[in-house]
Amino acid sequence: MTAESPSRPVAESPAIEISRLVKTFGDAVALDGIDLAVPQGSVFGFLGPNGAGKTTALRILTGLARPSSGAARILGTDVSTAGNVVRSRIGYLPDVPGFYPWMTATELVEFAGRLFAIDRATLRERARSLLEMAGLADVRTKVGGFSRGMKQRLGIAQALINAPSVLLLDEPTSALDPIGRRDVLEMIASLRGRTTVFFSTHILADVDRVCDTVAILDRGRVVANAPIAELKRRAAVDRLVMEVDGDPTALVSELRSRPWLRSLEQSDSQITLAVTDVKSAQRELPAAIAAAGLGLKRLEGAEQSLEDLFVELVRHAEQ
Amino acid sequence: MSGFSTFLAKEWVEIRKTWRIWVIPGMLLFFAITSPIIADVTPALMASISKSQPGVVVKMPPPTWRDSYAQLLKSLSQMVLIAVVITGAGAVSGERSSGTAVLTLTKPVSRGAFVLAKIVSQAGLLIAATVVSTAVCAVLTVVIFGPSPLGPLVMSVSIWTIDALLMIVVMTLFSAGFAARGASAGAGLGFFFLTLLISIWPPANKYSFVGLPSVSGRALMQQPTGALWPVVTALIASGLCAWGAVRVFEKQEL
Repeated sequence: MTAESPSRPVAESPAIEISRLVKTFGDAVALDGIDLAVPQGSVFGFLGPNGAGKTTALRILTGLARPSSGAARILGTDVSTAGNVVRSRIGYLPDVPGFYPWMTATELVEFAGRLFAIDRATLRERARSLLEMAGLADVRTKVGGFSRGMKQRLGIAQALINAPSVLLLDEPTSALDPIGRRDVLEMIASLRGRTTVFFSTHILADVDRVCDTVAILDRGRVVANAPIAELKRRAAVDRLVMEVDGDPTALVSELRSRPWLRSLEQSDSQITLAVTDVKSAQRELPAAIAAAGLGLKRLEGAEQSLEDLFVELVRHAEQ
Repeated sequence: MSGFSTFLAKEWVEIRKTWRIWVIPGMLLFFAITSPIIADVTPALMASISKSQPGVVVKMPPPTWRDSYAQLLKSLSQMVLIAVVITGAGAVSGERSSGTAVLTLTKPVSRGAFVLAKIVSQAGLLIAATVVSTAVCAVLTVVIFGPSPLGPLVMSVSIWTIDALLMIVVMTLFSAGFAARGASAGAGLGFFFLTLLISIWPPANKYSFVGLPSVSGRALMQQPTGALWPVVTALIASGLCAWGAVRVFEKQEL
């Protein structure tokens, strides 16, 4: 608790709590009343297409930007008024990290640590181990000569220098090669339970791999927010795959008029349906296939990938 | 002010390791060395020009230590102040556009500390370079012109330094306020030439900081300087601009 900001006891609060957060730039609405609660110690994926508002939300959480209305709290403290109280407990990696080109990786990480007033011995030891983790311990060249991937890894190392309670990562794997990406995801996964990791991305496989919970953001609105397993389970029930014997063109156009159909994809004789009422669909489909003069070869519930769900939710929000 | 000393230490190292160590100190040192030499050779140069043009007679008194100091002051008041404008234009906007401001300001560093460290580091560099250059000029003047009084040089350069420090703070304000380095440089040059223009008006020259170059000149001539109003208003303006730079930067979203 601090005198400079309204706070609540940390133990009762989610690590990150966003309520009715709005951010506008003139007439453009970047965030349109989003609500989120990120449990402490979780790895939270903040998913959305480019321009959805992910970076804007992170800028507000770090105090770099101010909300137009609504509130954002980290560890129970309002970020718009808390200043250094919050910043001393977070680590942040921006989407395009900027570094002083004349510094070496060690100088950069130690500079970041000194800003947190970490004592010299601890700082030296921590900087060494973080640079080893980032694969930069033996790099002696100046940061100005680093590749984008090296800068990204250095960005993660500096973001961890204060052993943050909350780690905010904006597209942390976007510039990495497959091995670097795997290493970063493993590092993120290893923080589970100790540090709350909130990372934005548009790479669905990353979220699928390490996140406990995910929020999907589109055009400034949260269109889904749930544990990842629940999202996938929920989606799987609403999805059917069938294969028919014969040309399904007439059947497809007939099915498009059904009220329970959300979307339909056809690939040769295989038709994948996203439905709002799976029981009605299962009851009516065999009759529709027979009426179209086709034979039914297969009809089953489909496992929906996170990518399918993401595309579907974003399309649905657009409509 | 949270993070001030660490960020200031970074600024010192940055000055030492980058081009910043060469520009202002390099210019100051160059003018410190060349001013006594130019003062010494100018009469001979003028005489040779007049010889090549029949009918033209140029008579100049023998050069003295005062010509050496005046040559230095002229360079400081024009070239070095313009260099201060150009280099100061990117003080804050450069960090903002390169993303390094985000790196620093998402840590426990206040924006006030960020801006003030920028001002202090630039001011420190300018003062250190000015002291060294003044000493070099004084020594060379003695070597070329014989025993020379130090007081007029120290007094006039000190007055100029107050003017240059004000320019540093003004440029930090512009750099905090404008997103582009070019825009803040343009505003700085506009400010520089506007003050020159206003200084033509006697009351402004007498009672405001625009009169500092005149005060500096009078100090060199060992005349009564009337330094009080120009110096006091320069200090007040510097304080207001520093406060303004912090406020402007605090209000900005990065």
